[in-house]
Amino acid sequence: MTPSATPDSPLPPSSPTANNENNLQPFFVLHKPIPKKSSRKAPQSAKTRRKIDLSTETHKFNKSEGVKQVEQIVDDHLYQQLRVEAFDIIWSKIEITIKEVLRGININVFNEIHQWVRKSFAAIRSTAGTLNSAQLTCPYPLTIDIDCKKIFTGLVFTKNVEFVDDLLTFNDLSLHLKSQGCHVVNLSSLDFSAKSGISACIWSLLRQFVMVDPDVADITILASWYNEPDNFNNPLVVIIDDMERCNGSVLSEFILMLSEWVIKLPVILVMGVATTIDAPRILLPARALHYLEPCKFALGSPAERLDAIVEAVILGTNFGFDIGYKVAVFLRNYFLRQDGTVTSFIKTVKIACAKHFVKEPLSFLCRGLLDEDCHDFLLQKCVLLPESMREYAFSLPSCEGLDKTTPLTGESLASGISEIVKLKKNWSSVFMCLYEAAKFQKKQVVDVLCEALDPDAYRTRGSLQRRVGEVIAKSHSVDPYSATKGSFIFQVIRKVRDLPMKQLCQLLQVWEKHSEEIAELHEKVKELQSLLKSEEENNGGQADVAVLSKRLATRSYMNIQRDKGKVYDKAALLLESMIRDYLKPIECVPFHEIICFKDVDILQSALVGDPRRMIQVDLLKSHKVLLCSCCTKGGNVLLPSMHDTSIMYTLAQEHGDLINLHDWFKNFKSTIVRPCTNAKGKMRSPSSKKRKHSIEPEDLTDALVQARFCRAVIELQITGLLKMPNKRRPDYVQRVAFGL
Amino acid sequence: MDKQNSPQVTKRTTRASASTKPSKNTLPNQKKADHRPQSLLDNLVYGEQQAIISQDELISNFPGRKCQILELLRLFGPINSSLLPIFLYGGPSSGKTSIVLHIFKHLKRPFIYTSCRTCHNPRLLFESVLNQLLLHKKDSSNAYSSAKRCEKPADFVNMLRESLMEVVNSLRVNSRKSGLEESDEQGIGRMVYIIFDNMELVRDWDKDSVIISMLFKLYDILKMPEVGLIFISSNSPDTYHLNTGSVEPIPIHFPEYTEDDLYHIFLKTQRGPKLYSSFLDVVLKDSCKITRCIDELSTYFKLLFEKYCEPLSGIGRVPNQDLKSKLYMHLKPHVTPSLNEVFRVPSSPALELKENKEKVGKKRNMRSLGDGVVPDDIDFHMSVSAKYLLISTFLASRNPATLDAALFDSAGGGDNRKRRRKTSETSIQQKENAEQELLLKGPGTFPLERLLAIFQCITSVTDGVLEEEQQEVDVLGTEGGDNGLMSDVLLQLSTLSNANIIIKGGNCPLDGSSRYRSTVSEEMALKVARSVNFPLPKYLYRK
Repeated sequence: MTPSATPDSPLPPSSPTANNENNLQPFFVLHKPIPKKSSRKAPQSAKTRRKIDLSTETHKFNKSEGVKQVEQIVDDHLYQQLRVEAFDIIWSKIEITIKEVLRGININVFNEIHQWVRKSFAAIRSTAGTLNSAQLTCPYPLTIDIDCKKIFTGLVFTKNVEFVDDLLTFNDLSLHLKSQGCHVVNLSSLDFSAKSGISACIWSLLRQFVMVDPDVADITILASWYNEPDNFNNPLVVIIDDMERCNGSVLSEFILMLSEWVIKLPVILVMGVATTIDAPRILLPARALHYLEPCKFALGSPAERLDAIVEAVILGTNFGFDIGYKVAVFLRNYFLRQDGTVTSFIKTVKIACAKHFVKEPLSFLCRGLLDEDCHDFLLQKCVLLPESMREYAFSLPSCEGLDKTTPLTGESLASGISEIVKLKKNWSSVFMCLYEAAKFQKKQVVDVLCEALDPDAYRTRGSLQRRVGEVIAKSHSVDPYSATKGSFIFQVIRKVRDLPMKQLCQLLQVWEKHSEEIAELHEKVKELQSLLKSEEENNGGQADVAVLSKRLATRSYMNIQRDKGKVYDKAALLLESMIRDYLKPIECVPFHEIICFKDVDILQSALVGDPRRMIQVDLLKSHKVLLCSCCTKGGNVLLPSMHDTSIMYTLAQEHGDLINLHDWFKNFKSTIVRPCTNAKGKMRSPSSKKRKHSIEPEDLTDALVQARFCRAVIELQITGLLKMPNKRRPDYVQRVAFGL
Repeated sequence: MDKQNSPQVTKRTTRASASTKPSKNTLPNQKKADHRPQSLLDNLVYGEQQAIISQDELISNFPGRKCQILELLRLFGPINSSLLPIFLYGGPSSGKTSIVLHIFKHLKRPFIYTSCRTCHNPRLLFESVLNQLLLHKKDSSNAYSSAKRCEKPADFVNMLRESLMEVVNSLRVNSRKSGLEESDEQGIGRMVYIIFDNMELVRDWDKDSVIISMLFKLYDILKMPEVGLIFISSNSPDTYHLNTGSVEPIPIHFPEYTEDDLYHIFLKTQRGPKLYSSFLDVVLKDSCKITRCIDELSTYFKLLFEKYCEPLSGIGRVPNQDLKSKLYMHLKPHVTPSLNEVFRVPSSPALELKENKEKVGKKRNMRSLGDGVVPDDIDFHMSVSAKYLLISTFLASRNPATLDAALFDSAGGGDNRKRRRKTSETSIQQKENAEQELLLKGPGTFPLERLLAIFQCITSVTDGVLEEEQQEVDVLGTEGGDNGLMSDVLLQLSTLSNANIIIKGGNCPLDGSSRYRSTVSEEMALKVARSVNFPLPKYLYRK
């Protein structure tokens, strides 16, 4: 699903990420190469006119001094090295965490599958009875009974149309089963292609089980191998990653053949199914389906996995790397709308991380945040910073709100950063409390996270809460939160009031765990818990009384209701105060730029390739990519020195869906044979790099023009922008461009 | 040398193996000690420890096949009588292979069995026959290779003749000896039989039917009266173009079982015959109309019988008339639906628990949402752009291309005016015809450009709606994601065709000549459309 990598690295060679992270390459392939390192605002660059002079490049902060400084700092070799090291350390930590999380999600299903494999194996053995080795390898079927021909088949539902995530999962599954002693083979849909037929999958079986590469794909080899005493007592598990992509007839042939052998070779199939339970029924003919004895398993859905990863990476331990609001929203939307695989989500985070460390001069400080006592490390580093770096740090946009009296020293920088860390820790624990409450509403982490990270929402929330407080003080009857429709967080707070008693108890328990770090909160939660407990006791006691006296009971019931209301109110208020005091988005904190990645444009250009559009944009504005000196001055005027294909495509814009070839050719010819009015054009064209044979326009013969025309048309056809003339309209080509 | 040695050794081992079952541990040693001659009889004659079955047993084992068995036995004749080639044919699971194998169990004569399913190409078929004749076993000691390499039919014939001579000679020596020593006991005779099972599959990999005609002519080519050939196929001999002038195999047809036969067959396999027979009384008649294939019926009956027994505590009970009708009433609603449900997928226990929980939750949700809202329950994840693409493929497959302009005009909504006029003009008869035609045709194909055009239309139409809604629902906005559901359509296209939702035909992407077809059911498409709030029914062309 990722576009295949091309040999030439599109990243600028001087960029450190290009050297140590080859995996990032595929994402950049779809884009035109970016000529200079510091000009990385790719999506805008397609439209805005880029000057070649770098010093006038618009940058995030417009202090003319600062820009040059940053350039210097970014280029400083020593710090570059430090940043690369920091990236390596931090990313490896994140990666390990992600892997553990994913494994943790799957482990239950894996265990279940293993148990089922063992059970099925026992079932096969019991139907087979005791067989001796001669019988096990004999060529004729031992029994014909249908029950003895059934193949136990586990259908593992991956719950995602994309299969990329599951490649890894099935690998893990095979490792898991192998560690339990089963013989395991991984087959993919490539083994079940119509072209190579059934031999390919049997070969693959033999290669992986027997470790021989025989010249005929003979299943009896497997039988005699299995008959060896070392192999005899374990089931043979055949995992097929993606059943839907297999060729149905080959797969059914494979199943039929296995069914003849299943008594002698206890093969158990495990097939990954991406779509619905109907998939095997659609793919396989009935005579093959008869021989399957299916059982259904389900992996966690991609959304669940995503939640788990987000929980572990962004909320869990502090990795010294964080993402801003816009990046979080982009990640979420990209996942929902475009891709929906966890693999690409991880890749995106990796790109963000890499880009952050490349771009942010001070990001090497993040490395220290991994340790417990980061302050000492930071102090040490910050004091040693050169003057320019320190100045840069205090000129960060987030520092505008900083107290003017703060001394611009390394110490204050260090304490600022460690302040972020502390804040972030509290933020995560409060966020977890919020999320636990949100779980009762089936909200996803990412959704809540996005809102919690939004600095604007934080500000409006502050003012809203004040207002809400006033409203509550005035009257209880009006729903104070009606004004806050649409906000997840307020929805959650409101919901806390409506929770049943049992769930509230659960919630408080979780809160207690999460708030351990914040003493103040912890106490409050404990208080609430004890209140709730006494309430419950009262409740129980009075229930007994209720049996005795009905009148008393009604009164006490009302009391309970009132008390209960109090507890709920208190819980909701507590959550509210937590959010108000601690859920401050990281983007509202000074110095957050050092650990927080906010540049969503980079990610966007890296991930949303939009190749069809890019091809067209580049063709229309080829001089912006090529940056040659001859064509840039022309603006939108077509110059003969431009690339032929580019000229052709620009000319084609004047036509509709159908382009008359003759007109087109005439236009093209007149463009390139245009008598040069200014001598400059003449002078430059020989120096142009694009055309190897520099020919003076006067010398162009008709044949040459025609040849160039044909080549350009073919190129446009290959890029998928044109359809060749058909029989009905022999002198017209058709444009097939969409997306512009 | 082998020929001289084999008789004595063979006899010794056969007796030994007849008296004591070879255990797993001792076997490899034995094998190594006397590799080839030991297994001559064991291998070619049916499994040694199984008792010889009598003719009566044989016939009673296969209800409804008495005349075929007797016919076969007549053709095999007494020991050492030669056999013309036999061709057994009949539908799947009608007992061809098992009857032949059981006859060999009964007769105790040497035979060789090759299934063309396991041997899926000519070379495997040839080598499998030769390996069995030469008593060669593929194992790690010989690097899992065959005894002889044989790829061409001509080589096969030569090698087969050689090895058959060897086997026949050794058998002859053997039978002479045994005839001298113990004349009463039936020896294994001098004949060798070769069984070719699943002959119909040969036609798939043997396009110019060289091998088929060679196999059928084998009797004439070999000219060895000691060799008997038996072909088993599910097709009748007429489908094989046998008019080659050689000796034609004797056809024996295995007809479909009658209802009565089926009754006896199924009763035989059950432990509680009384209850099962009352069950069969109920279901057999109807299901016989649909299929008489034993395999299919037995899977079907297995499910139904479980249902049937549900009200009972134990299978052992003998039902009286009253109970029978009660059970029947219980079973009745399940009969027809389960006919469609041959492939039933039970969940693993843990998953089942989870699913039940979800179901309960869903029900509760539904109740709280009210009747109007149907929950979106696509049980797998798709990105929004994949969903739109799926909808557009569905539209492209269902709607005629000529109506695209009318449906997706500049106003963007489904403009029904034109369609309505058209339908009012056509007569009812025409309408019905067209409907039937559509049903027969199935989903239509469409070129990539048309798909992309539709996709662009429906995304541009709904993008506005989508954004408004999102702004209402969540304050997150859509920045960062809204620029192009269009952006990687081709990627999504390949995803969908991987998942078999789109089928691709033709394979020249440059030409734009490749055409696609959507295989999604309307139900599913509607579900997907609902999940992205797309008014699909508005865009569907109905006659």
